[in-house]
Amino acid sequence: MSQVDRFTFNGVDIHYEEGQSIAAALINDKKRELRSTRFGGEPRSIFCGIGICFDCIVVIDGVGNQRSCLIQAQPGMKVESGQ
Amino acid sequence: MIIVIGSGPAGLAAAEAASRNGTEVALIDSAPRIGGQYWRHRKSVTGYKSKRADFLFSKIAAAESITHISEATVWSAERQGDIFKINYLQGGIENSLVGEKVIVATGAYDRALPFPGWDLPGSMTPGAAQSLLKGHGVLPGQKIIVAGTGPFLLPVATGLAEAGAEIVGLFDANSPLRWSLSPRALTANLSKFLELIYYAQLLRKHGIRPQFGRAITAFKDGVATVSQVNSHFSIKKQESSVKVDVVAIGWGFLPDLSLGGILGCAQKVDSDGTVIFSVDNFQLSSQRNIWIAGEATGIGGADLSLIEGEIAGLAASGQKISHTLLRKRFRKQLFADALKRSYPVHDGWTDWLSVDTTICRCEEVKLQEISDSVSELGAEDSRTAKLFTRAGMGLCQGRMCSRNVSDIVSGITGCSVTDAERIAGSNRPIAAPISLGQLSDGNISL
Repeated sequence: MSQVDRFTFNGVDIHYEEGQSIAAALINDKKRELRSTRFGGEPRSIFCGIGICFDCIVVIDGVGNQRSCLIQAQPGMKVESGQ
Repeated sequence: MIIVIGSGPAGLAAAEAASRNGTEVALIDSAPRIGGQYWRHRKSVTGYKSKRADFLFSKIAAAESITHISEATVWSAERQGDIFKINYLQGGIENSLVGEKVIVATGAYDRALPFPGWDLPGSMTPGAAQSLLKGHGVLPGQKIIVAGTGPFLLPVATGLAEAGAEIVGLFDANSPLRWSLSPRALTANLSKFLELIYYAQLLRKHGIRPQFGRAITAFKDGVATVSQVNSHFSIKKQESSVKVDVVAIGWGFLPDLSLGGILGCAQKVDSDGTVIFSVDNFQLSSQRNIWIAGEATGIGGADLSLIEGEIAGLAASGQKISHTLLRKRFRKQLFADALKRSYPVHDGWTDWLSVDTTICRCEEVKLQEISDSVSELGAEDSRTAKLFTRAGMGLCQGRMCSRNVSDIVSGITGCSVTDAERIAGSNRPIAAPISLGQLSDGNISL
């Protein structure tokens, strides 16, 4: 796979296919826990898959509350679990 | 110009129909590609009756009068005299679109019911499993249980199996015998038997045996609890524990009413308790120059959405609507009503909960807090319970939990949920979260 088709998730390289969402690339890489919750610190993953539930929110290049199920992966993105 | 919001089956059919007499159409959708949730395939559409998608996709691409605005999230809409202003976010930038007529075709999303463990990774809606697979070419896991109720479980289970997943269980909480309540809907829609045979063959090919009167009532550490449930969905007995990667569970669909609601379109409560828009014989809403088509006027599936979209598109562009088309819609509506009778969601599901089960996923509100708000703080309806607990006040704006909170509160108080409460719970002042920065950068009036 070429160098460009990857982003980082909490510092780890994740490969993706063009057109894949960030969440799909992470699930494909067996990274199911996308974040932990603010109060209980409970693990959360993709739930509705179509941008309704906001459970899969991550921080992308410093911007929080981004729905990883909707946003297509781009080369070099810095994705973090955030809070 | 006609602005069509949503590019699923209803929106595509509306845009195509309106373009037949050359009317200018702007087709706006939040996804990168047209097709909506139903045809969300990465490459070509496959599956039952996929030719309908090919036909519409090529018509839309060829029509010069249709402009497709993709990856645009409409977050508000307003009427300014005789025109509509549709505000959307595209790539983080606020923009707007102006037209004289609007067709709302915003579709629906999976209805989810809470149970212990539904908030853990590995638990998702069938729609999520479907979108990962069809939209992104990813299996959500290897060993999968598909459960809940309704015909949508069939394409999801067979689609996952075709892609190589092991379907270790397919459970519908209702009994197929409920179809005997709707003989007229079946005789008016004989083609539905072909669809059933199509899926039955796929189930057989993969050795999947659907089981009825069963639900997943808990999920923890990769183990799903399968329970037999009675006709009210109360647990008769816990039947087995199954090791799985994923439980994909859905209880039918809820329409997204945000945009039509913002534009003031009148709503009503459908026979199954779902809030929907009231429309006339030609899909016109209570508001002048706003038509609504598809799931937002009652959950009925793609067949009905396509016909409603076509009628709305023809009506909005001033074209003649044939009696044949209206009769076709009537037959599909009979089937949609039968679906509601055959796959009801009974309130026995509240028995599956424990006090520490999460009810509002966004604000992490547990059942205990909602019960306390009623029994100790005196909340008499879901709105008051929400103010006490913040249930439904998170980022999803109550789309996931508000109906469930209403049903839980009503179960404790013993007062049934009023239509006014259901309608209030389905409406929100903006359709998608927008940051104050984006709001202040644009020239937006709320």
